This record gives sequence, structure tokens and C-alpha cells, in this order.
Amino acid sequence: MTTLRKLLTTTCVAAGALASAFTIGMGSASADEPKKFKIFLSLSYSGNAWQSEAANIVKALAQTPPYDQMVELKEVISGTDPQGQIAAYESMIDAKADGVISFPISSTALNRTVKNGCEKGVLFFMYDATVTEPCAYNVSYITAGFGENTAQALVNALDGKGKIFLSRGVPGNSVDKRHTDGAMHIFKKYPGIQVVAEYYSFWDDRTTQQETAKALAAHPDVDGIWAQAGEFGAIQALRDKGTRLVPMTGENSNGFRLALADPEAQKNGLKGVSAGSPPATAGYAFKLMMEILTKKRDLKAMNIQYPLPWVPADKVTLCKGDTFEDGCNAFPDGKVPSSFVTEVFSPEFLPELSLKSALDGAPTPGKTIQPLPAEVVKAPNEPGINCQKCDPPADLYKLTKIEPTVKP
Amino acid sequence: MTSARPSAALQPPADTRRIGRIRSETISTAAIFALAIILILASRFVSPALGSWDQVDTIITLASFLIVVAFGQGLVILVGGLDLSIASMITLGGVLATTWNSSFGSEWVVIPAVLILCACIGALNAVGVIWLSIPPFIMTMAMGIIVASAALGYTSGTPRGASPEAFLALMKGSVGPVSAVLIFVVIFALLARALQSATAFGRRLYAVGANREAARIAGVATWRPIMAAYAISAVCAGFAGMMLVGYANGATLRMGDSYLLPSIASVVIGGSSILGGRGSFAATVGGAILLTTLGTVISALGMDQGWRTVIEGAIIVGALLLLREDLIARLRNRSAG
Repeated sequence: MTTLRKLLTTTCVAAGALASAFTIGMGSASADEPKKFKIFLSLSYSGNAWQSEAANIVKALAQTPPYDQMVELKEVISGTDPQGQIAAYESMIDAKADGVISFPISSTALNRTVKNGCEKGVLFFMYDATVTEPCAYNVSYITAGFGENTAQALVNALDGKGKIFLSRGVPGNSVDKRHTDGAMHIFKKYPGIQVVAEYYSFWDDRTTQQETAKALAAHPDVDGIWAQAGEFGAIQALRDKGTRLVPMTGENSNGFRLALADPEAQKNGLKGVSAGSPPATAGYAFKLMMEILTKKRDLKAMNIQYPLPWVPADKVTLCKGDTFEDGCNAFPDGKVPSSFVTEVFSPEFLPELSLKSALDGAPTPGKTIQPLPAEVVKAPNEPGINCQKCDPPADLYKLTKIEPTVKP
Repeated sequence: MTSARPSAALQPPADTRRIGRIRSETISTAAIFALAIILILASRFVSPALGSWDQVDTIITLASFLIVVAFGQGLVILVGGLDLSIASMITLGGVLATTWNSSFGSEWVVIPAVLILCACIGALNAVGVIWLSIPPFIMTMAMGIIVASAALGYTSGTPRGASPEAFLALMKGSVGPVSAVLIFVVIFALLARALQSATAFGRRLYAVGANREAARIAGVATWRPIMAAYAISAVCAGFAGMMLVGYANGATLRMGDSYLLPSIASVVIGGSSILGGRGSFAATVGGAILLTTLGTVISALGMDQGWRTVIEGAIIVGALLLLREDLIARLRNRSAG
């Protein structure tokens, strides 16, 4: 009984302390400084390379002139539960935010809160993940066809036949489902392609390595691997078993790109393509939001498609400096960790950024904010991902990056 | 004061129940290993490539992290506690090993330094539990949150650096045809079992876990074994973090998450009482190997994630029911009579 009471007291005190810290943090708006745009960066979780890079480039842009004089940016990390992010959004709306830039944890659970915020004049910009509430701006590569294009690349590399693994993301997640549906749409056309193992790797290198190791124990004769983020773990699992590598497709980790370009790895059987989710989306979304807030752009809420990065093995080029220059797209070994997601830069959209911005959230000395290209690309409808009661286009899984070289 | 002989106090000369208990413990340990072996052999039906030495090697490698963590967790459970901070301690061990390794030079300084830091954090857990009377799961949960947040702040989200060479050698190397990690697991298990079951320190752990008040009256300074258990648990978790770093050559901030519940499950499947005072490490090792084998076989079944988890859960409950001590005792009595 005493234990229970103690437990309750401890919990209440802790919760109280947290709540007050939260309110103080939220309420400390500067009254005497000139009016700045109050922007909140809302993350659901942090702690993997992708999330911190995305957050860092937003922070770096907010400190790049002239935004350093115009923006008051606050970061809130609310955890992996939708209710945490709902509470965070509500506090931001109450704090009279001008804009919220966010990685939403759920495509549907936040809708009501987002709508409430829109009605109070808050701009909501979602990057990478999306919400189905139409008053929010979704900026994402999801609709750009990662699944079907990489699947076709793998089929081409395997000449239309072979045993493959699917290394998926987080179970039940709408992004994982979209990618896998797109991939299966292609694989099903080829009866020679046999999916012998399908496992969830939670978009994480370590988990991918362990799950791939398990699958390899059952199927040491695998011919190819179709992977979502965490792909470098799959290469490590293959290397743990010996020198043989297989064709594989994956996302944008520096380790994977270096391996693709490594002649030794190519000789051992590795070929494939690096595509997938770019953290640069966050920077693009932030700059779009700022252009709307500063009245430089007039844009109604819409779903915006960010281009899908697409780097086949023969296109991997090492960067000499600290940013993507002269068409380079990977960094030399030792400069960044292997799990570093390379697609933080975009010469077209984010010329202001350098490696320091992605790693530490610091602005690049001497750079100023450059305007974005005038045109934005409208994303196609994807029910459950960026719209609720809508029909997908007939050519949803149309190939955009690669042609089939093998007849089904 | 401290010269009391707890072992004499704990073993009244006429007590013959001990023999029976040891036997049933041996039987349940053997049963758990048998179950794991049967599972490996039966997995040939799932895929012909399974059931090979290669698969055993994969399983031992994947189970090695869990075995090390479960030893520490087992000691804490033995003294009547529970350590929820291990996930964060794994991460801390891994993160510090990689970042310090690249900034401080010699890994033979870095590795002991990280382990000592882990031991101090574990001891802090014990301070909260023993003197501040904070329930173990609250104390260790809070410590876990603090440590995880510190790691997040320290790395600003992206852990950098590479694994110490020693752990690369441990996880990737081999001695002749046998992989180094297999040899390590065998040595670790023997040493850990000896510490838990064949030393005065080990007996004090059992005494404190079975009845703290009785142990105190018998002359055991009860805070010592409890503090040692928490410190060892933290060190084990930190060490497992470094092994993971050696396995994957890099750290991530959530690398420990998937070991918290399995570490408790291994201990309980191994027949230890979740309330403390009873259990053997040999059976815990069996529990860890069984859990990992199960994961490997089920992942080869190629069914939906939902069903996989349902089957995994069902087999764990089944194993727990089968390995209950009273059931084994009844079987033994029947065969004896």
C-alpha cells in the first residue's frame, strides 16, 4: 500500500514538473523584440540519423540570413505516440504559432487538431510523412514511386528470376505499405521472382542486419534483396557470411552508396540502386512555408511531390567538399557514419546547406537564403496517405525512373 | 559484525530439500536446451538450409547479446528487483565506445572507462532502491530515461565513430573453425554461472532475494549484494552495447530497445522466480537461446508479421507452462515411484 502511494506520488510530482516545464518553454514569447515569425518544428521521435538530419537542416536554414532575423524556431519532440504529438500541436496553436513544420507520426490521427489549427490561421507543413487533412501542406517523395521503381531495378539486375528478400519498414505504417504495394505490383508480374523471406527492419541498420542474418540462415542461396531504409545492415549481414554479395536496392545511406561504388563489392556481386526518402524534403518544406509567410509566394494548401533521389551504382560520385557539388552524391569513408543519409542536399532547392548544417544544425558561413524554383509539383492522390475519400490515378504504379529490360 | 557466516546460517544440516530442488532445476535447464535443439532440428521442415551448423552459429551470435544482458537482469531479479534501464545502458555503452574510441585514442582505456561509468550508474540505481525506497521499476525506468536523453543530447542525434578493434575481433573473428563469439559465450556462461551459484557472493544474492529480513538477521549486509547486482547489470548491458557495436560497426540511439523485454523473458523462461530468490543462470542461457531460435525459425516461416508474433507469444507461454517446476517434480516423482 505504501509502495503504491509512493509510486503515485512520484508519478504525479514528475508529471507536474514536466507539465510546468512544458508550459514555461511554450509561453516564453519575446514581447519587446521586433515581430518575428513564430515557427515550431514538431518531431514525433528523434534518435536516428534521418530524423536528426532533417531537423538539423531546418534549424540551419532558420539561422541563415535573412531568416535569422525573421524566425523564432522552437523544436518539440513528442515521442512515438500520436497523442503526444496532438498535445504538442495544441500547445503550439495556443502559443499563436505562425507555422508548424512537422514530421507527423500518423496520417490520420492528427487531422482534427491540424484542422483546428488551420482555422486559427496556423500554416501546417508536413515533410516526408503526410496527413490526410486537406488544409495541411504535405511535402513528400512518397508518391514518387520508390517501391515500383526499385523493384523494377532489382528485377532487371536479376534478369527476371531469383529468390529475393523483402526488408520492410515499420509494420502497419502507411509509408511502408505504399512502398511494398508498389514493389509487389512489379514482382507479381514476374513468375520467376520468388519472395522467400519478408521481414520488418524498422528502417534501422542494426535491425536490418539481424533480420537479414536470420533470413540468410534459412535461405543462404538468396539472389537479391529489396530493402527500405536500413539497407546497409543487409550488406553487413551478407559480409558476415562470407564474401558473396547479391544485387540489391535500398535507400540513401552513405555506407550503401560507397558499397555500390566499390569495385571489390561489385566483383563480389553487388549491383543495384540507391533511392528513397531524402531528409532534404524538410528544408524544402521549410523554405516553401517561409516564402508563403513572407508573401513571396501564393500557394493554397496542397500535396507537393518531392523528387525521388535515384542513384544507380555507376552514378555514385564522391564529394570533395562539404556539400553536393558538381553532381556528387556521397561522402568519403570516415567523413560521415555509414548510416548517414546522404540526400540532405539539393543544389536546386537547398544551395545554402553544407555538411555542418546536416550534422550540427549550423548555418553555412557566408550563405544567404536563395529563392526556390517557382514551380511546385503536385502529388497524385493516394488514399490513406495524402487524401481521405479520393481515388488514386489509374497509372499509380507507373515506372518513372527505369524501363523494364526483362519481359514479364 | 561482518564476520558472520551466512552460508552456515543458510544451510541447516538436516535440510535435504536442496537436493530435490537442484535436481528439478537441472531437469528444467536440460528441458529448455532440449526444446531449443528440437526447434533447430524441426526447422529443417521449414527450410532445408536450417538445422545446419551455420544456423547454430547465427543463433549463438544473435543470442550472445541477450545472454550477456540477461545475466545482469537475472541478478537484479534474483535480489527481488527489476532493471528497466538496460535498454538505455546498452545504447550508452555502444555510443560511448564509438565516440570515445575515435576521440581518446587507446581502446584499452576507453573500454574500462565506459564499463566503470556503467557500474556507477548501476550503483546509483541501487542507491535509489535501497536508501530512498523507490520501487525498482520506477527507479530504473527513470534512470533509463535520463541515460537515453543524455545519450541523445551528447550525440545530438547522430552517433559517430567506429567500433573498438577488440569488439570487431570478438564479433567477427574466429579461432580456427570456431567463431570467437561462440568461445566467448561458453566462457562467459561458465564464469557467470560460477559467480552466481558457487561463490559466497552468489549465495548472499539468493539469501537477500529470498528474504531480505532473514538475510539481514543472519548477518548479511544486505545493501552490498543488491548494489553489486545493479552495478553488474549495468556493466553487462554496457558490454552488450559494445558487442552490438562490434557486430554492426556503429551505434544508434535505439539499439538497446529490442533487448529489454527479451532479457526479462529469458530469465523467466529459464525458471527463475520474477519475485526473486530463485533461478539459475544456465537455464537463463537456455531461455535466451530458445527465444533467439524461435525468432530465427519463425522469420523463415514467411507468414504475416501479425501471425508470427502470435505464434511467438503462444510458444513462449507454452514453454513456461511446460517447464513449471511442479510439473517437472510430479513427472520425476512418477518415474521414481
